[in-house]
Amino acid sequence: MDLTLGPDQELLAQAVRRWLEKSCPLSLVRRLEADPLGFDPGLWRELAGLGFSGIELPAAYGGSEQSFLEVALVLEEMGRALLPAPFLASAVLATPLLLALGSEAQRRRWLPRLADGRSVASLALVEAGWRDPFGTPALEARAAGPGLTLHGAKLFVPFAPQADLLLVVAAGPSLLAVERGAPGLASRRLASLGGDPVYEVRFQATPAEAVGGAGAAAPALARALARGAVGALAQALGAAERALELSLEHAKTRHQFGRAIGSFQAVAHRLVDMRSDVDALRFLVYRAAGSLGNGRESELAVAAAQAYGGEALRRTFVHAHQVHGAIGFSTEHDLHLFTRRAKAVELAWGAPAAWRERVAAAMGL
Amino acid sequence: MDFEFSEEEERFRAELREFLAAELPDWWRGMFVEDERAIPFTRAFCRKLAARGWLTLAWPREHGGQGASVWKQAILREEMWAHDEPRGPQYMNLNYIGPCIMRFGSEAQKRRFLPPMAAGDAIWTQGFSEPGAGSDLAAVATRAEDRGDRFAVSGQKIWSSYADAPADWCFLLARTDPGAARREGLSILLLDMRLPGVAVRPIATMAGPHEFNQIFLDDVQVPRDCLLGRPGQGWEIASAGLAFERVGVARYARAGRVIELLVEHARATGLAADPDVRQKLADLRVRYEAARLLNYRAISLVARGEVPAAEASIARLHNTQLEQLAGHVGLEILGLAGQLTAEDPAAPLRGLLHRQWVRNVPTTIAAGTLEVQKNIVAQRGLGLPRPG
Repeated sequence: MDLTLGPDQELLAQAVRRWLEKSCPLSLVRRLEADPLGFDPGLWRELAGLGFSGIELPAAYGGSEQSFLEVALVLEEMGRALLPAPFLASAVLATPLLLALGSEAQRRRWLPRLADGRSVASLALVEAGWRDPFGTPALEARAAGPGLTLHGAKLFVPFAPQADLLLVVAAGPSLLAVERGAPGLASRRLASLGGDPVYEVRFQATPAEAVGGAGAAAPALARALARGAVGALAQALGAAERALELSLEHAKTRHQFGRAIGSFQAVAHRLVDMRSDVDALRFLVYRAAGSLGNGRESELAVAAAQAYGGEALRRTFVHAHQVHGAIGFSTEHDLHLFTRRAKAVELAWGAPAAWRERVAAAMGL
Repeated sequence: MDFEFSEEEERFRAELREFLAAELPDWWRGMFVEDERAIPFTRAFCRKLAARGWLTLAWPREHGGQGASVWKQAILREEMWAHDEPRGPQYMNLNYIGPCIMRFGSEAQKRRFLPPMAAGDAIWTQGFSEPGAGSDLAAVATRAEDRGDRFAVSGQKIWSSYADAPADWCFLLARTDPGAARREGLSILLLDMRLPGVAVRPIATMAGPHEFNQIFLDDVQVPRDCLLGRPGQGWEIASAGLAFERVGVARYARAGRVIELLVEHARATGLAADPDVRQKLADLRVRYEAARLLNYRAISLVARGEVPAAEASIARLHNTQLEQLAGHVGLEILGLAGQLTAEDPAAPLRGLLHRQWVRNVPTTIAAGTLEVQKNIVAQRGLGLPRPG
């Protein structure tokens, strides 16, 4: 047992932080929120050049074979900087799914391109009416000549127009690959409160290729979603840590009644509650990520992190705004960028009550 | 980063559980019970632990310990607290009174006080709080007048656990220099409870007898060789002791045990199918996981030779509130039967949850209230300015 980071892990987190401070200022985050594509190809190439786009892949496909705990540390730093890039969507969610289910030909075709950043992949999963990403997919894959075509729509697909490869979950569940520019493929950016680029994607007799057997995607998909949920939470953790730093800075410099507001216990104790929640969340996330990376996957560890996370993020950002007062509501201040992104994570990966139900099941209830 | 105990550590836990299963009598419910068997049992139990080298597991070998890793010590604490702390009053010796004597005591004091603790033969109580000095501990008014070869001590101490056990010794915070600034005028005396002028009055509490006591000190003559550290070093020593104590009690482990028993109860009674019960128990479990990890974070720092300050207080914030919540949720799950006290033969789970609830009413107050803990985190951990 040792809950301190190893020297390599510390170096990794520091290197990512330094790179992000240089290459991803909040001015870029603001600019890309307003950009129709929300994507900066230069930034993505830089990120790929540092080896992050193939972070977990085997070296045989050009990857850097890091474990999922390291991935979580990288995501935490990216969340802290609100990095607008398809790292989670492509490198963490879609790429390992292709590795798990793809044929050797599919792997050889796509994985090296995904690893070196020439291509971006994304997962099209959610359908209308779902309350969380664990719904039952109904999207139809029909036989059309020698191949298959897709008919229907998906929601909340990150970076869809940039995705050279869309992995689409169809009824079964089955996984299918759709290439960029395929006929009958259209996307529309959703006006989302997080400000990160998510799309509705429509398929009208869009040609697709099966990835793995029909109806055989469930186990790999469940693993991918556990990783996605923990990965997104790691990003939100980074955002929460930054919100705490902003709040502390404000509490130490803002004077009212002739003194720094952080000297009032009512304010100080909110900041302590934030510290205490963010710390708890951090170790829950690390443990869940560790369990996903060492082959001893723990449903309880993942569900506990998610159940705590949803509630803790809400509390943390309520406190952050209360400490900031009116200025935190203004878009001139940076706080809202973090608040909105954390709220989006909270909503994107399922309600705390649903995760608690999973905890209950894992406890033997 | 590693979230697993080693095989050796897991074996040690299994051995401890086996030992506890063999040694704990069926009637054992922890301290604070109206049962005359309790104190003699804890004495005998501590001697047995001592015989196995487990009583002072993590103490250095030179002081009669095993020099075991902090993780083995953590496992020991977890198993003890999960089983109603069968070491009784003596856990305090091991957690902080002994370590304070090791750190601040003279060689003669170490030779005199540590071996009886290591043998399981000494019961200590603590004399910190006073009627006028609770959260504001630096307001201590008990006077220890320097008379050269001894101190003449007069005053009142309150909320002293186990003083009526009876305790052999008291770890006493007293004012030796009334002229000095508040914190600078305090000293620690190792007070023999059998000295003339010492009187103990138990305080009846919600949890029953034998919990807290008042100690009256009337011109007690304490020999000078019972001064710990220097005159005026009392605040520093008391703060160090409280810091040891903050991670010294594995309260999360107690909550973990209560959760296990509640899950068994829910499964046996069919309550496990109730969505609300499932949510409540899962929420408790999630908070338990969080508390445990925060304790392990603090212990990881100790293992690296660092002293956790704010980290220990954060762990304690989670521990104490978790223990309280376990009682509240447990009683809620029992419904009407939750009203039965532990004394009623019809109380479900042999009164476990009534005890869990009532014993933890003061948990967020003792050894520094929640608010005091938060002030520590605010000032030492977050660098916020002091109030006022």
